[in-house]
Amino acid sequence: MKFQTTDPAANPGGVLYHRCRVDLKSGELVYVEVPCRNLEDVLGGFGRSFQDLAKRKITAAYCDENPLIVNTGLLTGSSAMTGLRTYFSGYSPLKGSQAGLPAAMWSTGSGKFGAKFKWTGLDELIFENRSATPVYVVIKETADGPRVEIKPAEHLLGLSTHDKIMALQQGYDNAHFAVIGQAGENWQQNYMAAVALSTENQLKSKEDKCRFAGRGGMGSLMGYKNILALVAQSSDKLGKLSEAVKQVNLNVVKGGGSARIQPLSRGGGGGTWAAYDVLQEFHAVPLNNFRPQGNDIPEKLFRENVEPDYHIKSEACFRCGITCHNNISEKHADGSKGEFLAKFDYEPLNLLGTNLGIHDAGQAARLIQLGDNYGMDSISLGVTIAYLLAYNQRHPETPILNGATFGDYEKIRALVIQAGEGKLPEIAKGSMRLSESLGETAYAYHVKGLEIPAYQPETNPGYAWAIAGGHMSMATYGLLTREGKSDLDSWVKGITEDKLHIVGFDMIGLCKFFDIAKGIGTQMVVDCLQSEFNLQVSTEAIRAAVRRAFLRGLALEFRQGYQKAEFCLPAEVSENPNPHIKLPNITNPEFVAELEKRVWAIFEPELEGVLD
Amino acid sequence: MQVRVRLIGAFRLERFKEKILDYPDGTRVEEIFAQLQIPRRALGTVLINGSHARLDDVLTEGDNLALLPILGGG
Repeated sequence: MKFQTTDPAANPGGVLYHRCRVDLKSGELVYVEVPCRNLEDVLGGFGRSFQDLAKRKITAAYCDENPLIVNTGLLTGSSAMTGLRTYFSGYSPLKGSQAGLPAAMWSTGSGKFGAKFKWTGLDELIFENRSATPVYVVIKETADGPRVEIKPAEHLLGLSTHDKIMALQQGYDNAHFAVIGQAGENWQQNYMAAVALSTENQLKSKEDKCRFAGRGGMGSLMGYKNILALVAQSSDKLGKLSEAVKQVNLNVVKGGGSARIQPLSRGGGGGTWAAYDVLQEFHAVPLNNFRPQGNDIPEKLFRENVEPDYHIKSEACFRCGITCHNNISEKHADGSKGEFLAKFDYEPLNLLGTNLGIHDAGQAARLIQLGDNYGMDSISLGVTIAYLLAYNQRHPETPILNGATFGDYEKIRALVIQAGEGKLPEIAKGSMRLSESLGETAYAYHVKGLEIPAYQPETNPGYAWAIAGGHMSMATYGLLTREGKSDLDSWVKGITEDKLHIVGFDMIGLCKFFDIAKGIGTQMVVDCLQSEFNLQVSTEAIRAAVRRAFLRGLALEFRQGYQKAEFCLPAEVSENPNPHIKLPNITNPEFVAELEKRVWAIFEPELEGVLD
Repeated sequence: MQVRVRLIGAFRLERFKEKILDYPDGTRVEEIFAQLQIPRRALGTVLINGSHARLDDVLTEGDNLALLPILGGG
């Protein structure tokens, strides 16, 4: 990026980003330095990409006019801790309105690809049309600036995410990779493919330790465009750590924001896995398709019950002191580490474990590993399979597909493999389509066509207003459980003021664990922007930009045909309230109706003209 | 007075899972919390008899106190 101003809020045009538009049909490449339209453009990520998506009227995700936008955030590749994010945006094959139109979507992940991409000198790639043959795309720094090359990729076809990265690593030093697996290659039959991003740990250990931009089928869109991989080749360009950023980074590690996800050895909670213990206290750990039974079954996957049999190692992303990864490996008889299995985060562990009736850590780990290697979003995959298992439980005489039921590991494993290989569109096109085809939609746990994460909807009516994934684009998932808020005022404020700010992290290039509670409108971010780029931006200006970006996301949903009635939780939540969840009922029809009324009264006037 | 104290998740490490402990009348949650030497930044939620409570709440005879780490997404 180029900075010709120190005041990007007042003079956004004084900040320019470097874009390459790639026409995959003709092979034409157009490099442009683009002046920013507003502070959202400066911050980057979906704050910029959604403005470009809004200019296009897209009626089907798989069409030439639907771009795949790959970009970074302002602090991606900076010295600020967690500044590793890459964003993939486009109209989603998975998330869509009842009107049949695809929703605008972004997905993001860490790994080191984003930083390498930024260090090539490029800030954004826009892929237009599609290639007639499989290709991979190399972005590299040269003496003349960043250059993009399109290369044949037949040799990568059929390889898993990890194997593609290992194959590409042979040919590219000093590079990182963003790839799809077989799921993305089978985009016609799989709408939930992820983009896998390589990590330093992976390239060194040769173990399948990717990070994923999983949500909304951005890997499927990449597959449609016939792009199997992106390679970002550049020297590392970390500047000297300033005293200001050093202090910020110390705050990230030692402050309260990341405490729960730091290793147990440092007094932290031990990663997101610890959510199991907390939610179980309320009997709110999803079990058998989001129907907790008020028993202790979820405790089988508590860390304390897994640790005796498996080797668990706390590891970190590149230069990140939070160290949130819990990498699980087989354990030899002498206690030493065996084969690497998977990273245990709360979402994939629950949704490919307890919520499928799988309570064996090794089996859950193998399912996570399989899904990762095929390159599928673990949330959408797990929730859609859970729906199928619930359907089969309700129809024991006429089960569908392979007849799998809760806890049947071998049959569930077969479903994952078939979905990954493009042989099971019933699963791989997501729970909305499957439930509608079966005529039983009440217990399909998606909102607006995107499967919800592993927080019971009974604890989070805010899901309805999430714009790109239930917990990472509307952070109300802890408002009841953690904060104990069950009154309307708190929920209206949470949805319309505080909790929407989580999406700021999907603009600026930082991981949410930088400061998940406060968002990016903070002095820490102000200090980083001043120190890294000599930019003077107030916390108020940042918060205003994040709010505008969020509202643009909501407006785009309406533009793509969503009706207010679609902003709702799965019907089972109110039709058949779960008596086992030990929390106040805030998803009863009366509460929800009043919440909707008050939230829309605030949002609706602000949506006017937001896409102009 | 006697209070049943339950520790959740990482708070159990090198402490205990559940214990009935004696405290003077008028003891507040924060006094028990401090005594257990749990880092303040790691505390997410306090429950007294299953309901959300605050650190300055006063406990009474027979209360069930649960201390939960911070909940986070991922």
